[in-house]
Amino acid sequence: MTDFPPDTPRTFSRRQVLEAVPATALAAGTVGLADVVQVEAEELKKQGRSMILLWMAGGPSQFETLDPKPGTDNGGPTKAISTAVPGMQVAEYWPRVAKTIDRFSLIRSMTNKEGNHQRASYQLHTGYVPSGSVKHPSLSASIAEQLASPEFALPAVVSVGRTTGSGFLGVDYEPFTVNNPGQLPQNVSVPVPARRYRRRLGLLGRLEQEFSGRGGKTVVDKHQKLYKKSSRMVLSKNVAAFDISEEPDSLKQKYGETSFGRGCLLARRLVESGVTFVEVVSRGWDTHFDIFERITTLSEQVDPAVAALVEDLETRGLLEKTLVVWMGEFGRTPRVNSRTGRDHYPRVFSAAVAGGGVKGGQVIGSSSANGSAVADRPVSVPDLFCSICHSLQVDPRKEHLSPLGRPMKVVDGGKVVQDLFA
Amino acid sequence: MCTRPTLPLLVLTLGIPLLVHPVDAAEPARTSAVSAEVDRLLEAEIRASGGTPAPLASDGDFLRRATLDLTDTLPPSNSVTLFQLDPDSTKRSRLINRLVHSTEFSASQARYWRDVIFSRATEMRSRQMSPPVFQAWMTEQFEQKQSWDKIVEHLLTATGDVRENGATALLFAHGGEAAELAAETSRIFLGIQIQCANCHDHPTDRWKRIQFHQLAAFFPRVRVRPKRDATPRTFEVVSQDASRRGRRNPSPQALGLMFRRLDRNRDGKLVKSEVTDSRLDRSFDRFLQRGDANKDGGLSLKEFQKLPPPGNNNRRNDTEHYMPNLDEPGNRGDAIRPVFFATGGRATEGLDDVERRQLLANHVTSTRNRWFARAYVNRTWSVLLGEGFSMPIDDMGPEREVAHPQVFDLLCRDFTDSGYDTRRLFEIIAGTRAYQRQIRPRDPTEPIPPFASAQPSRLRADQVYNALLEVLGIESTSVRQRSLRRQRPGQSNNMMSRRRSAGRTLFLTLFGFDPSTPQEDIKGNVPQALYLMNSPLIHAMIRAGGNTRLAKILRKHPGDDDAISEVYLLVLSREPSASELKICREYITEVGRRGEAFEDLMWSLVNSSEFLSRR
Repeated sequence: MTDFPPDTPRTFSRRQVLEAVPATALAAGTVGLADVVQVEAEELKKQGRSMILLWMAGGPSQFETLDPKPGTDNGGPTKAISTAVPGMQVAEYWPRVAKTIDRFSLIRSMTNKEGNHQRASYQLHTGYVPSGSVKHPSLSASIAEQLASPEFALPAVVSVGRTTGSGFLGVDYEPFTVNNPGQLPQNVSVPVPARRYRRRLGLLGRLEQEFSGRGGKTVVDKHQKLYKKSSRMVLSKNVAAFDISEEPDSLKQKYGETSFGRGCLLARRLVESGVTFVEVVSRGWDTHFDIFERITTLSEQVDPAVAALVEDLETRGLLEKTLVVWMGEFGRTPRVNSRTGRDHYPRVFSAAVAGGGVKGGQVIGSSSANGSAVADRPVSVPDLFCSICHSLQVDPRKEHLSPLGRPMKVVDGGKVVQDLFA
Repeated sequence: MCTRPTLPLLVLTLGIPLLVHPVDAAEPARTSAVSAEVDRLLEAEIRASGGTPAPLASDGDFLRRATLDLTDTLPPSNSVTLFQLDPDSTKRSRLINRLVHSTEFSASQARYWRDVIFSRATEMRSRQMSPPVFQAWMTEQFEQKQSWDKIVEHLLTATGDVRENGATALLFAHGGEAAELAAETSRIFLGIQIQCANCHDHPTDRWKRIQFHQLAAFFPRVRVRPKRDATPRTFEVVSQDASRRGRRNPSPQALGLMFRRLDRNRDGKLVKSEVTDSRLDRSFDRFLQRGDANKDGGLSLKEFQKLPPPGNNNRRNDTEHYMPNLDEPGNRGDAIRPVFFATGGRATEGLDDVERRQLLANHVTSTRNRWFARAYVNRTWSVLLGEGFSMPIDDMGPEREVAHPQVFDLLCRDFTDSGYDTRRLFEIIAGTRAYQRQIRPRDPTEPIPPFASAQPSRLRADQVYNALLEVLGIESTSVRQRSLRRQRPGQSNNMMSRRRSAGRTLFLTLFGFDPSTPQEDIKGNVPQALYLMNSPLIHAMIRAGGNTRLAKILRKHPGDDDAISEVYLLVLSREPSASELKICREYITEVGRRGEAFEDLMWSLVNSSEFLSRR
């Protein structure tokens, strides 16, 4: 991407100023000093922090990932391997991650109570257990609400694969879902010249007033917001960030030529171009049977991608301000069932974090010898979320009013896990 | 206001046939009486709490609303003016009656329930295989005027090939998993989210953990398994009434025999190439990992016989449901007897799978179980009014607040007394003034009770799709198939219809949402907007040249005002207002090129929030 030469990430270019100035101002030739200054301020804000969530949908087994227990009944046949940091071991399926472990903090004492996919995924995305009366914003939306520049042309939150929405925080922070990572998303090319496109949008805006006046105001306002956001995106040059084709082949191979690998490479490009939150989803972790075969296939996709992502971010000087979190909705049962699988287990599981000021090469907490409980330093979901906020310099106690007028904090309860940070 | 003449009287005085389809003449009069009673109660409550009911919507808005709600389609653009001009004072109830008894109503109900069931499917393969079969089956149920209790009974008790029996949809959607089936049965048919009690007593309601597991205990013998040698690949829902555990631990002798049969080169060692094509093929790597003590890449007879036998917590072998002991995750927990939590209905001992599920269906649909009628009535009211008496519609209680409890009870009683007659309920609700009011935005923090006005709500994906086909002049699948059959029989016909249905599926994925979601949580998203703004298909179909609908309108109506009206009628099923007409005229002048300006107008209306809303 020409806008962001790799050696000078996130520098401020004249072209970006033009990008961010309202199209009408440009057309009228009225770009004044004030606009430029404002854009610069936004740009500075944009240089802030961002997060990449690597979501292992289905619930990854802690025994086959970050907390192996070789030689015990519950450990199964999984072996442990040494890592770049003496004394730290991970499961044998993660050789690439093992080499980059000095950038990671492993949390082996995550603990929670939700053992149902839908409810636990909701909780690990929003920080709240589902409740009938309110749709909580996902953490991505709360983070974007505090960090993202409202004038930035790309969506503040992008998800490679389906995820939890922005809840009552609304359309601005709704994740933009990418299904084929690496390619330009569908329908971003504008079918008519930009001038005519803007004129159309103007007509649409005027015609919507009628329905607004006839009782559809709420619907129209939401719709207009969405259209403003969508049209700004398609009219922006930044949209090329979605296309990974210009990345060197050697780098693509490092990430792995898999959907998850391309997703991670896309995540780096998006973060580099100013997107606040990117989630990359890996599916298939719900390993109720044949876990040892399936973990091999899964880790062959995820292991190189995670390692390459962290190294790539570091090479570009982005790791310091980009928090990378690897987790799923829960862990899996200590006992291997007779279908050679493991079932849902929220009582103790693992997560990994890197970048964003996190101290690498250390383990936080531990599970008991047979893996059935937390032995040391339990970390709850709110604790993890407070720590994420701390890393991103987001206020976890900021309150938003729910549609029913109830104030709700970004994170309710929990404490920062101070040991995570250098 | 509620002196709508009764139907027999109308037939006498007007002497015209009122109904397209013959229907029991006594019934409409009775539904209108119930509608009137609903309105009387509602309006009294609304006034008592300081609100004023909104006036009724115009004929045009009503026509679009009812046609979309009851058939998933837009009214034909030429029917709007005719309906407005029709002087008959009962035209609205006639329209409702006609729509509710149309085949399109059955098809639309089938699509709705397809979304309810498969939006939450946990067995992903069901989403590819089952929906068309389910839709055909569900359409037939509604066509045959099957009552709701019978439909639910079929859904709970089905067995057989998932590509042949559409009633297997729910069971297949959850892979026969007892816990998921318990959760979804309760959520969909009773409006109760008892699955929160899976791991702990319910956080907000009175349900106990054991009650969830007692419900799951009606399902432990359901199995969904691949059907052997079937093309295309398919699954079947079967019962497993006897434990297969005995078969799973073969004796050392049997293992020895098997070993010798497989060890083709007689070297006393089994390797991967020898077990190819045998039953061990798939699991052999795992066996090696676990059993190859000397790490020579093969299994000796000793190693083979020493392989750990399958453990005893394999659910596939269990014919009873076990509630896990949370403090001992290794232990499978206590065997649980089936009990239906809502009525306390129990099962006698010794029932096989289908008998258990039949018994559950009896308990669920029993008139003693008030939740059954409540869930359906609340859902139907919410489909038609944009909001239920109790929200969300699939999490009703028991300790939730209910708006207008008297009205709710009245409708539930009527639905139960009618023998769970779905059409009758739709006709009653659509016949109320509450359904027919103008839309008004409602402030959720206001204390005024709901239903004083209608709410704009988001069209479901099928409705948007049908509306787009209509507006863009693309023939629907059935029409296209028929014309193709005439021209080119055979292969190409199949290919065309398959491609078309693939297009529909993609569209439904892009615009689809779980219909159990409350309206305020349904938001458009950027990919949807991008599709409507930029997709090549829409771009091509709104061109002013060629043979598009727009081109035809422009040729037929040389005057701009007429053409503008026609475009409005086509896309939004209404005439433009004076101010809209003015904006359009100005725009045409500004652009200077008629075709281009009208393309932009079509584009704007297709991209408007009104087009995507039920107003």
